Amino acid sequence: MSFLWEVVTESLSFLAEASFWPVLGLTLAVTLAATTLAVVFGIPVGMWTGERNTKPSRFLLVLLNTGMGMPPVLAGVLVLLLLWGSGPLGSWGLLFTPLAMVLVQFLLALPIVAGVIAGAVRTLPTLANEHIASLRLSRKAERRLKLAEVRPAVITAVAAAFGRVVSEVGAVLIVGGNIKGETRVLTTAIVQESRQGNLGAALGFGLILLVFSLSINVWLTRFQLRESAP
Amino acid sequence: MTLDGFGFDSGDHLVIFGPNGAGKSSLLRRLIGFGDFDPILNAAYLPQKPYAFRGTAELNLTLGLTETEAARAMDLADGLGVSGVLASEARVLSGGELQRLNLARVLARSEEWVILDEPLAPLDVRDRERVAGLIAEAIGDRGSVIVTHHRESAAIFGDKVVVVVDGAVAQQGPIREVFSLPASEVVAAVVGVSNVLSGEVQRREGVLGLILAGDLEIWARTECDVGDVVKLLIPAESVTVFASGGTPVGSARNRWDGVIGELRPAASLVEVLVEIGRSSVVALVTQGSVDGLGLAPSVGVTVAVKASAVRAIGR
Repeated sequence: MSFLWEVVTESLSFLAEASFWPVLGLTLAVTLAATTLAVVFGIPVGMWTGERNTKPSRFLLVLLNTGMGMPPVLAGVLVLLLLWGSGPLGSWGLLFTPLAMVLVQFLLALPIVAGVIAGAVRTLPTLANEHIASLRLSRKAERRLKLAEVRPAVITAVAAAFGRVVSEVGAVLIVGGNIKGETRVLTTAIVQESRQGNLGAALGFGLILLVFSLSINVWLTRFQLRESAP
Repeated sequence: MTLDGFGFDSGDHLVIFGPNGAGKSSLLRRLIGFGDFDPILNAAYLPQKPYAFRGTAELNLTLGLTETEAARAMDLADGLGVSGVLASEARVLSGGELQRLNLARVLARSEEWVILDEPLAPLDVRDRERVAGLIAEAIGDRGSVIVTHHRESAAIFGDKVVVVVDGAVAQQGPIREVFSLPASEVVAAVVGVSNVLSGEVQRREGVLGLILAGDLEIWARTECDVGDVVKLLIPAESVTVFASGGTPVGSARNRWDGVIGELRPAASLVEVLVEIGRSSVVALVTQGSVDGLGLAPSVGVTVAVKASAVRAIGR
């Protein structure tokens, strides 16, 4: 019991030192950038896949569903291969930079956003589709209306995508390298501190991660509740 | 659904009749061009059930409309009694309110045809006739194709009836012809047999009105005023046939002498077409009556029908 108490006390003094700010800042930047990119690209991909029932759209749906369950470490290795010095994109010099971390997290979040939206658009009731068609809107206005109709699913998609990237450790460790002051984020910092036996610091980083995740989700849940109200 | 036997001219007011699952909605979808079909009519379309898009009733009312159409939709919403709910979320409205809102939006559009799939179904029975009148007024000179199950509203909506059975057109023709002389037993089973006449209200007496329809003076239940042009619906089963010379005793206010033009079997009954001057009335009687009264073509008869069985509806 005294051991646990000691760790908690250590974690509190770690938080009081406030040396975690750069790590929190980078976590914030990387996760929000990756989630935003996933939403920006995931919405059109999801709409395209959800609105059609063609061979390519069905194939893409399978890819998206598979992507949702892709092991992050595998995504990390694939991006590592791409960005490796002698790899196809090696000349870009992105490996072990925050941009590489954004890229890998974006690839992990994209199938979630696109897949959830595609599923929601596909399951729009026939009646809704008939009414939408009867409005004779422009293609753009029609897609905007459909997106508005599946708004709760969009919020779920954003929450799920954010949840995936904020808790992800394997992929960012592989492509970021957990370099202190450069590519260290909350999750990789927790791994690092645990390995070194700094359990107070590990718990401190963990608490910050929890508060960060909680704040974003409180905000998202408010939207979700507003949408599900009758 | 095959379109064989289905025809229209611009400005036609067509009413589609048919049992559930007969293919009425499929016919409408083909006309509008849903699914893999090319559109046949440039039409504003109201699907079979109302739907609420996310947002306020006002947003739902004006979706996809131009400014002029939106103003017209506002007027129609007012006439349909839903202007008071426009600030509410559409999803909390009742089915009837939502249908009126959807109707106002569709009727406000400017396409040259209006296609409505059972527009009165979600409404209270007591409102149906009034709303049917408003719909007919809003359609005006544009063409219309309307699916309905109500004979009364059919008479308000259309000049021509299309009867759809088993995915095909079983009969198409003027409403009077189809309702009074169904082409087959199947059609008769769907539409019933009714006489549809046009006339003008001559005078009122309580809930009744005296209507002059061709050669016939007919007492009918009506809410219309003197001078109004009306359609009369006389169910054939309400028309009683008497042997000529016999004076019918009873409460029937409408009695005419005529000559039998034709006898036709209709399910287990017989349709008797009685010619009265230049007009004609169809009665539905049993084979026993045909034999007992000696009914046959060219035989003189008297027909009677209670005023309460006749409905006069203004368009």
